[in-house]
Amino acid sequence: MKCEMCHQVEAETVVHKTIEGEILELFVCQECARRESRRDVPHPPLPHDNGEDGVSAVPLMGMILDAAFEIVGKSINREETACPVCGISRGEYRKRSRLGCPACYEAFSKDLEAAISDLHRATQHTGKTPEKAKAAWQRQQLLNALDDAVKGQRYEEAIILRDQLGKLGGDESAKGRLAP
Amino acid sequence: MRMTPDVDASARRTKTVSAGDIAMSCRVRLARNLSDERFPDWATECDRERVFAKVRAALETEKTGATLEPVASFDAQHLEMLREAHLISKDLLEHAAGGGIARLEKSQVCMMVNEEDHLRIQGFSFGLDMQTAWQRADQLDTLLERQLNYAWSPRFGYLTACPSNVGTGLRASAMVHLLGLRLLGELEAVVRGLERMRLLVRGIGGEGSEAAGQIYQISNMDALGVSEETIVQRVARISGEVVRQEHNARVRLVQEMPLVLMDCLARSLSVLQNARLLSTVEALEFLSAMRLGAALGFFTRLKVFDIDKLILLMQPGHMQQGMKTSLMSEERDEVRAGFLSRKLAHVKLKG
Ligand SMILES: [Zn+2]
Ligand SMILES: [Zn+2]
Repeated sequence: MKCEMCHQVEAETVVHKTIEGEILELFVCQECARRESRRDVPHPPLPHDNGEDGVSAVPLMGMILDAAFEIVGKSINREETACPVCGISRGEYRKRSRLGCPACYEAFSKDLEAAISDLHRATQHTGKTPEKAKAAWQRQQLLNALDDAVKGQRYEEAIILRDQLGKLGGDESAKGRLAP
Repeated sequence: MRMTPDVDASARRTKTVSAGDIAMSCRVRLARNLSDERFPDWATECDRERVFAKVRAALETEKTGATLEPVASFDAQHLEMLREAHLISKDLLEHAAGGGIARLEKSQVCMMVNEEDHLRIQGFSFGLDMQTAWQRADQLDTLLERQLNYAWSPRFGYLTACPSNVGTGLRASAMVHLLGLRLLGELEAVVRGLERMRLLVRGIGGEGSEAAGQIYQISNMDALGVSEETIVQRVARISGEVVRQEHNARVRLVQEMPLVLMDCLARSLSVLQNARLLSTVEALEFLSAMRLGAALGFFTRLKVFDIDKLILLMQPGHMQQGMKTSLMSEERDEVRAGFLSRKLAHVKLKG
């Protein structure tokens, strides 16, 4: 499989990366692994660092062990995550380094957030906006909110959302959602 | 665009190298996908055929003037020729079901359907005229987005099969011939500098070999968080800087090591005129030297464009098409050597 950071060359090794308190395991090429290790080294605060020679290897090793064991525990659960639309699991997508469908971006958002920020040094699109796709996206957001409101029996909110959907026009599927 | 060389008069006696002599061509590619479909790699044949049909309908409704044909309807040789001209990719040929090639009449636009993404819209132009290449791709994309439900989110922009293309889905690339920098041993430093500026440098040309003929493609790494215009301008600007460096390298070659340069040109011409067997990669190496010599005006009756044509025509697909027959690999090497020696028989090294 291809490196999950640069997506250019074959992955040869594994690195661990902490994102929002969660440790992710990434298959990467040697070059990215080196870059990642350089980036990580200065960060961990060493509790027993007492001066010039005090950078002892022992606490560092302890941290690495902690991190490694934590991943072993987590990776089992992570494999089960699958995209609800195309059914592709995290493991499958990583093996081929291709996502299954557009909805995978939601399903694997945690992993992708890190990968995307590494690949592009950015996480927010600033460019062309296709009007039709934008309207479809807005409608979908409202539909999701409407579903939530109905399930939570927040009918006043639901009515407001339904009216907003009505203004967007186009899709008829918003009607009937309020029927019990 | 003419380069203004900042060198002394002795170098000015050699022909002024124009940007087009170094920057061969450029392209802007847009990756697009349909929102309710699996990406091609994970799609069934049936899914892929459906995507093909949707795209064909959209092209017709918008009266784009484009013709979309299934990959399967082309013969193998023509597909090979399209690949040799870098109009389509190997990837497209590998999964043929639902794969399609569209071209826009009277415009340098070629679109692949069901390659890595549902759509790969490519606009082309000469030299470093990336703005034109971008406008060409953008125009077709703008027509298609009125018909097709593109996969797009406000956060990540255009959603692509590989996260490395997400955002604008845009890759702007320039094809440049950097033999001068290579001969002076300065190419590596230039490539490293480009990578620091987040530009990707890839050799094209030979199969497997890194950069046969010292032809490279320079393109953007980042597709998210920057506007299309910014990416296009940036790649064009920095590629222009590389072209300037290559130009200076050529001027220095002429000034500082004229004998080495002339020897290299004479040997290349001699091999191409006299060899009996030439592989594609080998021929490309010698044609690359000829290209540099032609740009410097060292050959009689030989233009850079003539060499560019030969580079294309001596590729296996093009050659077999010219012969109207298919050949074994050894036969091809023989035919290629004969072809090149005929085409270059009249060429002489000046002085
Ligand atoms: Zn990598
Ligand atoms: Zn999916």
